[in-house]
Amino acid sequence: MASISIRNLIKRYGTFAVIPDLNLEIADHEFVVFVGPSGCGKSTLLRIIAGLEPITAGEVYIGDKRVNGIPAAQRDIAMVFQDYALYPHMRVYENMSFALELRGTPKAEIDARVKRAATLLHIEPYLDRKPKELSGGQRQRVAMGRAIVRNPKAFLFDEPLSNLDAKLRGQVRAEIKALSQELKTTMVFVTHDQIEAMTMADRIVVLQSGTVQQYDTPEAVYERPANQFVAGFIGSPAMNFFPVEWRGEDVVFSQGGATVPLPKESCAPLRRAGKGVLGIRPEHFAVAPDPADGTAVTIKLVEPLGSDTLIHFDLAGASAIARVDPSLRPKVGDLLSLRPQPGKTHLFDSSDGQVLQ
Amino acid sequence: MTDAPTTDRWIRHLNLLQLVLAGIIIMTPTVWMVLSSLKPSFEVTAYPPTLVFSPTLENYVELMKTTPFVSYAVNSLIVTIGSTSLGLLFGIPAAFAVSWTRISWPAILTLAARMAPGTLFLLPWYVMFRQVGMIGSYTALILSHAVITLPIVIWVLMPSFDGIPRSVFEAAQVDGCSVTRILWRIALPLVGSGVAVAAILAFVFSWNYFLFALVLSNGDSKTLIAAAFNFIGEGSTQWGALMAAATLIALPPLILAALVQRWLVSGLTLGAVKG
Repeated sequence: MASISIRNLIKRYGTFAVIPDLNLEIADHEFVVFVGPSGCGKSTLLRIIAGLEPITAGEVYIGDKRVNGIPAAQRDIAMVFQDYALYPHMRVYENMSFALELRGTPKAEIDARVKRAATLLHIEPYLDRKPKELSGGQRQRVAMGRAIVRNPKAFLFDEPLSNLDAKLRGQVRAEIKALSQELKTTMVFVTHDQIEAMTMADRIVVLQSGTVQQYDTPEAVYERPANQFVAGFIGSPAMNFFPVEWRGEDVVFSQGGATVPLPKESCAPLRRAGKGVLGIRPEHFAVAPDPADGTAVTIKLVEPLGSDTLIHFDLAGASAIARVDPSLRPKVGDLLSLRPQPGKTHLFDSSDGQVLQ
Repeated sequence: MTDAPTTDRWIRHLNLLQLVLAGIIIMTPTVWMVLSSLKPSFEVTAYPPTLVFSPTLENYVELMKTTPFVSYAVNSLIVTIGSTSLGLLFGIPAAFAVSWTRISWPAILTLAARMAPGTLFLLPWYVMFRQVGMIGSYTALILSHAVITLPIVIWVLMPSFDGIPRSVFEAAQVDGCSVTRILWRIALPLVGSGVAVAAILAFVFSWNYFLFALVLSNGDSKTLIAAAFNFIGEGSTQWGALMAAATLIALPPLILAALVQRWLVSGLTLGAVKG
């Protein structure tokens, strides 16, 4: 078990900097999730920690040990790969015991550790099988078992759930979280799925173009996004954005000029900036009881989800989505008066996307 | 206008016709050789050729009586097995290294050496081996034949190693394997069929290679293929015995080629990764 520290990390492929300059501190026992769109550098960062990718500059520490230039084999970390990467010619037992065997662990201890991990992951019946005789979910568990038996300083997960179907993904997600609580080991998990990030992480690192956009708890990332990118990336459906201006004593949509029904205390940052981008999550729209208190929209599309209903509409020149109570039974073409819930709006700088303070 | 099923049927028939034609072209000399080896000596060169005859082994008996055929066969085996082993010993790590590092110029270099005419190597080798007194030795023949076997092993195994998902090697690294251990414990067991194919192809090519054995061997180390050349005399060629020799020489490669079929069906990497 160990902390992980990344200092002034630069990773270039030729002249292209995948990671221009990155600093990150992961505490001992912490479950940190790297999340971001494809190509944001999250897997590269994980592979750098694992020692599978050389760095251009900077320092990487695992615990107190500087691991720059130290090969993966000597870093004492375990990794679960996106495609599981099991050894096809070895039985499940051998897959799990291989690393221990390489370290010269006594046979009895290997046996005990493999069986303990197999029990934990419910794969005891498959120990004599080859990987090709297992389902995707079972292979995924074997890959985790292979990592667990090592008792490493840190676990690294590279999108391990992306090849599972939706139901299994939810199940394994919960199992990994339970496992992290039981093992109390530092875990770094890479995903592009924000639900995985939100549900599993102690802290989330939101990455874009190799730079950390925000590093905070899931609640903070959701409730107080540091910039427009984070706000748009975290949350499903994504946050709605509308260009707005301070005009007179009101906030108005830049396109159309309609007044945005916002409480005065929410408008202060915009009063200073003059203009900005207003962000409202779909679930933070409320249907105004009095049509005069909201903004009238015409429903373009209705997506009933059972627990709630998504409605699509155009507002101030932008396509937007609101999550409403299904008892409302909205229909395409209906007029609805919507307003943002008080205290649930976000304002961003229209030039650099940073949150307006 | 022709409908799609009819077109498909015609394409299938044309494919079959192509296969039959190719089969006839490839097999005719072989069948001719085998039949001729079983004909009485007076019928071998008869014109028009006889298709119905009483098969006899007299050509084989004659071959064994008049030539040290078994000694030549032993020479061929020593040289072929030696050069194939040498090719595998250096070719397996070389193919893995090329696949691992993704630096392909060494492989291209070995291929270029294989593509070059044998005579290009022959003269320097002859001079070199003569100077160190190795002309006629098995070592000289084995080393020279390694020029044939090494590129085959490298080029057959490179795609096999490339076919193993990179993440499997990376998992082994994380588990604590050195690169050498990854080769022996992870990669090699996964390319078993590739190794078998490479070994068999190297064996066949070395067995059949004529030029080096002709020049670098002597009476004691002459290989079958070089010895067979001597069966063709000036005006007194024993065609029956020659056909019997050719049939026997062709047998090991043919048997091995048949064995390759079994190894070509791999599927060993199934289940390693997602799917």
